Amino acid sequence: MTSRLLIAGETWQELLTRQSFIELDALRRVESLADPGSVRVLCGPFARIESPWLVPQGITPQSDDGTVIARATIGGRPTVIAAIEQRFSGGGTGEVSGAKISQALLLACNDSRNGTPTAAIILFETGGVRLQEANLGLNAVAEICSAVLDLRESAAVIGVVAGTVGSFGGMSIAAGLCSHLVVTPEARIGLNGPAVIESEAGAEEFDSTDHALIWSIDGGQQRHATGLADTLVPDDSVAIREAVAEAVAAGVPDQSRCRSRRLDVLAARLATMDPLHPPAPGDLRKLWGGTYEIPAELQTITRPTSSEVAATQAGSRGSTWIHAFAGDEDVTALAGSVLRADTATATYLAVVHDPANPYHRARDGQVGLTESLTLALAVHDIVQSDRPAPTKRAIVAVVDVPSQAYGRLEEMAGLHQAMAATVDTYHAARSAGHPIVALVVGTALSGGFLTHGLQANQILALDDPGVEIHAMHKAAAAKITLRTEEQLDELAKTIVPMSYSVEDWATLGFCDGLLKVENPEAPTAADVTYVDHAIIEAIARARSGPWDLSNRLNSAGAIKLRQASRHVRDALSREWDTGD
Amino acid sequence: MQTLTYEFPAQKVISRQVHVGVVGSGDLEILLEPPSADQPTNSAVVRVRTSVDGFDSLWREVLRRFFVADALAGSWELNDFGATPGVVTLRLRQAAEAAAGGTA
Repeated sequence: MTSRLLIAGETWQELLTRQSFIELDALRRVESLADPGSVRVLCGPFARIESPWLVPQGITPQSDDGTVIARATIGGRPTVIAAIEQRFSGGGTGEVSGAKISQALLLACNDSRNGTPTAAIILFETGGVRLQEANLGLNAVAEICSAVLDLRESAAVIGVVAGTVGSFGGMSIAAGLCSHLVVTPEARIGLNGPAVIESEAGAEEFDSTDHALIWSIDGGQQRHATGLADTLVPDDSVAIREAVAEAVAAGVPDQSRCRSRRLDVLAARLATMDPLHPPAPGDLRKLWGGTYEIPAELQTITRPTSSEVAATQAGSRGSTWIHAFAGDEDVTALAGSVLRADTATATYLAVVHDPANPYHRARDGQVGLTESLTLALAVHDIVQSDRPAPTKRAIVAVVDVPSQAYGRLEEMAGLHQAMAATVDTYHAARSAGHPIVALVVGTALSGGFLTHGLQANQILALDDPGVEIHAMHKAAAAKITLRTEEQLDELAKTIVPMSYSVEDWATLGFCDGLLKVENPEAPTAADVTYVDHAIIEAIARARSGPWDLSNRLNSAGAIKLRQASRHVRDALSREWDTGD
Repeated sequence: MQTLTYEFPAQKVISRQVHVGVVGSGDLEILLEPPSADQPTNSAVVRVRTSVDGFDSLWREVLRRFFVADALAGSWELNDFGATPGVVTLRLRQAAEAAAGGTA
């Protein structure tokens, strides 16, 4: 690390003449990256595609929903730039802003497949899903992740995290899917923000007032020094433009080199981590190195074997249902917290409680580092073994995840990157023709659901008060949006995406079946037969339906409740080519 | 959130759309458009959506003073997130300058 990288300029005179990138608003950021005069904004302020969910909550909307989409050239090459305005709603992903990004990526993908490689540049400045649009924001992030992966096959997808908000929440999974990531020392990238971890797990887990600690874990320099970002540049518009232009000029990325495809590296890196005696952030740089490759000196930690851990699993809905489908002898513990079962119908995967999990923040069924890697390896294994088969095996994600793991260790290791690996493999399986069915039997919250479930072609859920699908659990959402839980319940009556009721969730357009069973805690034989039959039907629908996520936009529910998403997609498509 | 509407006499007709600002804390965005075919060319129609309720008369006064100096006809939409009167006036001036041909 040289001082050249820390500040924009060697002398104070240079420092004064530099043009800060961080201080620019979203549109100026776009303009500073693009070739002069080449920027054409799509669905700009005068298109007035606002969030339909904010005014009813008494929140002033922004005319472009805080996201600028522009076509432009960079170094003469066609690109699309999506810039999130950090000052509006903390850069939170809503229905409209999310749909703008995913549709821009899909249009770039379309052009790229038709012979005009169109790279995408995403300027991440976001605290994650906009909680006022909860479930629609969460789904929007899943659609963005899918679109990043669709495009990445045929063009570069370059992420820029400059600061000051940084990238947090599910959008960091999308950052982890990018083929190239540019950061500044002011940037932060993490799955869970420090304040959220502190509120979930206490200040001893993560002291959100300790800025040195935050940057030692999430900071741009640390992410770069541990190979989780590719280019580190100072907060200087020229330096950032050059870094982006270089990444655009590099052309179509080699998929096998993309971080989210490197399960070997993820596995090797996690194998060197002892959660009981974790390295300090500074030591992690030496342990893992600055390139995303298998560490040179492997000091693998001895772990308990599956048979030792299998006995420790406490009952949970995920565990109960996977055993109900397969019978005890056919359920394998891939890790203490991940179960796999193979039946004539499908391969089932579930994340379950694991009281002995060495990662203490992932003991209650949360999706953490081990769970992300284990799921990714399992799905990858299915895709590999079915490669020659004409009909691909179905994969059922049995979902009962209270959340992602909120922990300091998880953030230091880059949970967002581990989750990106899982999302990438689920997407790869779906794209290869494996029907993916998510079956929500318990809670399906936030990053946990994004990782395990939301890349499915078909989503089924039990119709039961114990089933909860949301961007954040109620107590935390109340705290963050400065409301009481009672106020949230009241709002949910009119703002459907904020509702915690599964019946309301089912109206949003991405539910492919709400299943009423007699006993969701201890399913009867009739319950199991009924749900298994619903899964078989969902698999059949997946086989004949689209292999992307477009069914979530074209369903009867979406036509009613996702009008804004559909409007954005139509308007962007119209403006993409014609320019009016 | 409160929606307020005002109308002020105006003479100058601008020829292009202008967008300035952001709905960020202590700030606002302004969308300014020339009068459409069915709108009068001698008035400024202003719609304010503000996150802070109860300041109708202050908004009226801030806007009135601005339109005395810069009587730009057309449709003005202000989306406000708690901007102070000083910031509001600066953004209005910025929009007027941009409409006159400067950079937005």
